[in-house]
Amino acid sequence: MTDDVVIQARRLTKEYIRDEFHIVALKDVDLDVRRGEYLALMGPSGSGKSTLLHLIAAMDRPTSGAIRVLGADLAAMPDPEMARWRNRHIGFVFQTFNLIPVLTALENVELPLKLTHLKKGERMEHAVTALKLVGLGDRLHHYPRQLSGGQEQRVAIARAIVTDPDIILCDEPTGNLDARSANEVLELLRQLNRDYGKTIVMVTHDPHAARFASHIRYIDKGELLPEGRKPEDWS
Amino acid sequence: MKYLPLVWKNAWRNRRRTLLTISSLAVSLCLLGVMMALYYALFIGGQPTKSQTRRVVVRHKVSLTFPMPLHYREKIAQVPGVEEVMVMQWFGGVYKDSRDQRNFFARMAAEADKLFRIYQDYRISDAEKEAFIRDPAGCVVNRVLAERHGFRVGDRILIKGDIFPFDLDLTVRGIYSSDELDDETLWFNWKYLENMLRNSPRLAAGTFLVLVRSEEEVPAVCRAIDAMFANSEAPTKSEGEFTFGMSFLSFLGNVKVILMSICFAVTFTVLLITANTMAMSVRERVREVGILRTLGFQKTAVVGLILGESALIAIAGGAIGVLLAQGLCFVIRQGPLIVQQTKTLAIEPPVLAALMVVSLLVGVLSSVAPAVSAARQNIVDALRFTD
Amino acid sequence: MILPLSYNLRNLAVRRTTTLMTALGIGLTVAVLAASFALVDGLRLALEASGHPLHVLVTRKGADSELVSNFERRVFNDLKFKPGIARNAKGEPLASLEVVTAINLASIEFPEGANVTVRGVTPIGVELRDDARLVEGRWFTPGRREATVGRLIAQRYPEARPGRKLRFGRGEWEVVGVYDSPQMARNSEILVDLNQVAADFGREEVLSSALLRATDEVAHQALINELEADPRLNVRARSEKEYYAQQTSSGDLIRYLGTVVAAIMAVGSCFAAMNTMYAAVARRSREIGTLRVLGYSRAAILASFLLESLLLAALGGVLGILLVLPVNGLTTGIGSFTTFTEIAFQLRITPQTMAASLVFALLMGGAGGLLPAWQAARKEILTALREG
Repeated sequence: MTDDVVIQARRLTKEYIRDEFHIVALKDVDLDVRRGEYLALMGPSGSGKSTLLHLIAAMDRPTSGAIRVLGADLAAMPDPEMARWRNRHIGFVFQTFNLIPVLTALENVELPLKLTHLKKGERMEHAVTALKLVGLGDRLHHYPRQLSGGQEQRVAIARAIVTDPDIILCDEPTGNLDARSANEVLELLRQLNRDYGKTIVMVTHDPHAARFASHIRYIDKGELLPEGRKPEDWS
Repeated sequence: MKYLPLVWKNAWRNRRRTLLTISSLAVSLCLLGVMMALYYALFIGGQPTKSQTRRVVVRHKVSLTFPMPLHYREKIAQVPGVEEVMVMQWFGGVYKDSRDQRNFFARMAAEADKLFRIYQDYRISDAEKEAFIRDPAGCVVNRVLAERHGFRVGDRILIKGDIFPFDLDLTVRGIYSSDELDDETLWFNWKYLENMLRNSPRLAAGTFLVLVRSEEEVPAVCRAIDAMFANSEAPTKSEGEFTFGMSFLSFLGNVKVILMSICFAVTFTVLLITANTMAMSVRERVREVGILRTLGFQKTAVVGLILGESALIAIAGGAIGVLLAQGLCFVIRQGPLIVQQTKTLAIEPPVLAALMVVSLLVGVLSSVAPAVSAARQNIVDALRFTD
Repeated sequence: MILPLSYNLRNLAVRRTTTLMTALGIGLTVAVLAASFALVDGLRLALEASGHPLHVLVTRKGADSELVSNFERRVFNDLKFKPGIARNAKGEPLASLEVVTAINLASIEFPEGANVTVRGVTPIGVELRDDARLVEGRWFTPGRREATVGRLIAQRYPEARPGRKLRFGRGEWEVVGVYDSPQMARNSEILVDLNQVAADFGREEVLSSALLRATDEVAHQALINELEADPRLNVRARSEKEYYAQQTSSGDLIRYLGTVVAAIMAVGSCFAAMNTMYAAVARRSREIGTLRVLGYSRAAILASFLLESLLLAALGGVLGILLVLPVNGLTTGIGSFTTFTEIAFQLRITPQTMAASLVFALLMGGAGGLLPAWQAARKEILTALREG
């Protein structure tokens, strides 16, 4: 593994049982993502692309196979360490924003910093900076319900980058947004990749969104297709 | 500490539910507080008043209703440590209409000249005291009792006899109050009984009230008196006035078991109420637990946040409950004299501490299960969870 | 158009943890009320079962109870030949002169001691208690220091079991038998020979009461009227049943305490039920919207949620009754403010108590469910569909 491969999966497999059905979500996936890469993972619903993202984020454990992210062996990492590692190295952006409704934009962004050793003043400073970066410097004290969908997602992005993580993982970040807001969010992600060198993995099934990325890979029925190949029934 | 604002905001997320839960807890814990205060006052921490500690009641060993010969008075007076002995007799009788509970109050005959020497907490003017001692048909009435019935100095009070074959026609010679405890008693002059029962075997002592030199000598004096009469026609039982008062408690039924059952039922109810609230509130937030975990919060931190929230709600309920309980105790203190402890009922520090511990325990215990199960859930499942 | 009951039942079943917790909270509140009623009813039933319908109890005028009554032997001799008093086979009037006193005995429940009635009677007095049957030993022998005790006395006071000796008066009394009477209050007494006990307490001439048996119901009332009206006798005569019935007031304090405690607990349980129902309304917001789109009226929604709350409370009521059933039949004692002695009795859960408990639970459910149901009914269709 060379230094600039930050995500490396080998024969990565995830199976689970839901409602008595045995489901193979990922099968023998091999993947390398280099530092500074902006990868779009595409595929139909249920193809396993979100599962792969969850495994990279250490939100779930693989059934078999190896996954190393930033040199850490996630399959072997104990639980408490996993939480700390996630906090330090990963920023995650959800399709449904997932902001805490009782907290203001600023407090939402500050939330991951509470797990660090930063003082209150420093945390505020970082959070304000992150919110300014996503263009919401004037919405600090708004609650999520007072913001538009695009603004909410930008708060979520601010929350994802406020700890200055190496990798940003996005799960359908534009799935709940109108075209204009979607473009703003995609521009923002591209800027984070280009100007700040963040490695980004984005799951999407919107070809327009995928065009912002530097690479596109397809997943079909749990299998990662070789570079350049699309599923047969993919339009 | 830096999580406190988050805990606070979470607690207020569903304002109505939190307020309903806190009110519900406050009401229940108020009840628990009063029951615990009663239990404490009756069986654990009840203390005799200052002047009571030196008073001993001597009664017939077999039953309070059996009289003792009057000549015991002189024998008791000679026991070392005894400062004063007074003969007392419960007259009973009927005042006005016996069906009205308010007309039921203690009517006791006692040696007038000794009464105020033994009850050192009684306050009365010298003139009234003298008038009482001089009048063989005189009586003194406690202030609270006098206010309730509108008795004033110079009034006549008629009591029909039932235990005794004659009626009382008394004149109020004084109104006394107490520094310690208003006993709501009417005391009349022993000479009245002497005059009415001249040469009758019924002229005997119901109880002897003994003033002991010091509190430390009380047990020895009790033992000495009982030993002296052990083999006589009327063996005695001597005990401190406070303990004597407690012996009436069994009259009210099995108070201990009743109070304990109520405390148990209330505590369990409180636990259920809080557990229910926390279960509902955690259930609504499984997704957020997933978000927090994604952001890097540890399982233990998530459990801590939920336990903290529950404890905060429970303690708020407990604190308001304590205030309400203090109020209820105040109401009970104004109520009728059943046992002396209800007249001084309050939330004492040990009860306060116990209540707060119960609140905290309720808060923690009620949310352990939902908190742990929420934290344990797989992050991906948690994020996908819809209620 | 009304929503089917099964809709509510299934919703309660789906959220069974919450349902059970809320119902149990209501149940405990109901249990407290039912338990205090069980105490009071047990006492009342014991006293109602006591007293013979043809018996007349005579005490001194002005005396509320036998214990405080001073009844002279010469008065008894004056009244025992009054017309209307039944006679036994030997032709003696069924009139019993009795003396009542109280002694302090340590019981299992109150080791520090409780007051127990000791009653001195003659053989006629035993004859008047013909419904009592011996369950152990024999009746005391007249002229001897022996005692026959009621069933509940033997059960509750270790010192008063057959073969043991009681110490009171001027010496010891041997317990020689145990009787059981359908008249529950009688089972809390110790019976001894009248003359022996009267001599011990110096009461040969001044005793407590007389118990008379009238020939029939008409004579019963006539006898009471005649004795009451006779100024020479200066006595109070009343039916024995009435004497016992009046002692029911000894349970007033427990009834009062139980009611106050249950009322306060009910407020708490009501809030808890409200919480549960508000959560149900919030959770089913979209469902409410859908039902309204389907054509259910606001009233139907209101009725449905109110019904659900009542079902929840009814479940609580049933749980509460089940919780309290084990106390049925337990024996306890309470002081009678009339006799100044302990009456032992068994706790009784009556059908009326069960009905009252259920009504009490439904009241809690109704009070707790009304506001949430109202909120559910008031929702606008579109908002309801958007929420949740």
